[in-house]
Amino acid sequence: MKYLQTLGAAALGTIERLGRAALFLYEILGNSRVLFRRFNLVIQQVYAVGVFTLPIVLVSGLFVGMVLGLQGYNTLVKFGAAQSLGLLVALSLLRELGPVVTALLFAGRAGSALTAEIGLMKATEQLAGMEMMAVNPVMRVIAPRFLAGVISMPLLAAMFSAIGIMGGHLVGVGLLGVDSGAFWSQMQNGVDFRDDVMNGVIKSMVFGVVVTWIAVYEGYDAAPNAEGVSRATNHTVVYSSLAVLGLDFIMTALMLGEV
Amino acid sequence: MSQNAAPTNKNNNGNLVEIRGVSFSYNTRTILDNLTLSIPRGKVTAIMGGSGCGKTSLLNLIGGRLRPSQGQVLVDGLNVPDMNISELYQLRKRMGMLFQHGALLTDLSVFENVAFPIREHTRLPEVVLRNVVLMKLQTVGLRGARDLMPWELSGGMARRVALARAIVLEPMMIMYDEPFTGLDPISMGVIAKLIRELNQVLGITSIVVSHDVAEASLISDYAYLLGDGRILGQGTPTELRQSKSEYVRQFMDGLPDGPVPYTYPAKDYLEDLFEGTGG
Repeated sequence: MKYLQTLGAAALGTIERLGRAALFLYEILGNSRVLFRRFNLVIQQVYAVGVFTLPIVLVSGLFVGMVLGLQGYNTLVKFGAAQSLGLLVALSLLRELGPVVTALLFAGRAGSALTAEIGLMKATEQLAGMEMMAVNPVMRVIAPRFLAGVISMPLLAAMFSAIGIMGGHLVGVGLLGVDSGAFWSQMQNGVDFRDDVMNGVIKSMVFGVVVTWIAVYEGYDAAPNAEGVSRATNHTVVYSSLAVLGLDFIMTALMLGEV
Repeated sequence: MSQNAAPTNKNNNGNLVEIRGVSFSYNTRTILDNLTLSIPRGKVTAIMGGSGCGKTSLLNLIGGRLRPSQGQVLVDGLNVPDMNISELYQLRKRMGMLFQHGALLTDLSVFENVAFPIREHTRLPEVVLRNVVLMKLQTVGLRGARDLMPWELSGGMARRVALARAIVLEPMMIMYDEPFTGLDPISMGVIAKLIRELNQVLGITSIVVSHDVAEASLISDYAYLLGDGRILGQGTPTELRQSKSEYVRQFMDGLPDGPVPYTYPAKDYLEDLFEGTGG
């Protein structure tokens, strides 16, 4: 009986938090006019959120592309299809690995930083101070960060895929002897703009909204003390990662029309 | 302006703030219980009391960050709990608040922190803005620290910068939340002097929430002593010092035991010890 009560309380708590998070998202969207009124605030955050995440995205993209080149070649060569390596690398990156791995890296690097920053602003009464100065913290602090995350994610994912393809080319053509012309022409013929590129862009946009939403909400909702901020940062990485992987499956199923 | 927030009594007998029968609870705990008090216009009023007695909650009720479960919070004749968010923001532009640790924005320099409310609420030309900010910084003696970042300031300096920021829009009142906590005697004296000077020179109504009896008594014209969610004593600092009330005596003299007990409520001591030994 006690177990059931605990379970029920946990379920109600989760539903309540989801409700509050949804209302918070609604409030952020309502304050998103900051994009037009205070564009410089958004640009500053694109720099903080996007540009600072770029190195880890580029390095990871390069290595993921190189591994794809290596693994892909070893499999394709058994079927005499090594010339299709470019297509395999490009499709893997554009459809799946680009958006998903970028979102996971973004959650770990930028998402956790956003949560910690907002949580600390709350703990040090900076957000309360803004309210008392008649400045809406959701418009001044939260909305620019949210918009920056949403804008940055597709761009980062595009750069991840681009450098990944370079990595695949480096290994496949540079080291393993795949013909460079075949690498690029197979890719050009096999990649469809709408089905492959745009679907990847849509995924990364959805991931951008979800990961940044989780990050700003966890920071804003954090208990205003060291333990609260630490817990919120941890939640951001865990919840964002699970959300990205779960949503990826749902969106892939919808896009392929297989389920 | 909503109908409920319309001025109820503009004169208010010379009081800028009137708390009428206000109760406030947090979860199931009653913080303020049917509290009634007045803050006179142009005076320094101290709200004193032990930790957790509801002093900061009272400031948050006046600033509209909390809503009472019952009662009226009148500021300049306007009932704060009935205001919508835009009316509240209009009122807050005429209020300043000094938080316990300053609440400076950590990504902005001293100059930009003081300039923050001006940039958010006005379109002053940069030259005028610069002069206004420098004048306010000069008032708190920190014009030379304009380029420092918040983490380069001592606790006392941070609070002086926050004070410059609180007065930059020339408010009708300033609420000070524990302005003396954690300061060395010199910084404490500086803050006390500034609170008094701002009141005398600019005529700003001041509400000082503090448990520092000596400093708060020194600068206030009138003081309330809160405890158990209600007023346990009130009067001028001299009157409070001469009070016969046991609670007021304990608080003003800093006695460890009295109406506020030294020990936290617990079961019988011997019984508790024997329970552990299985006796």
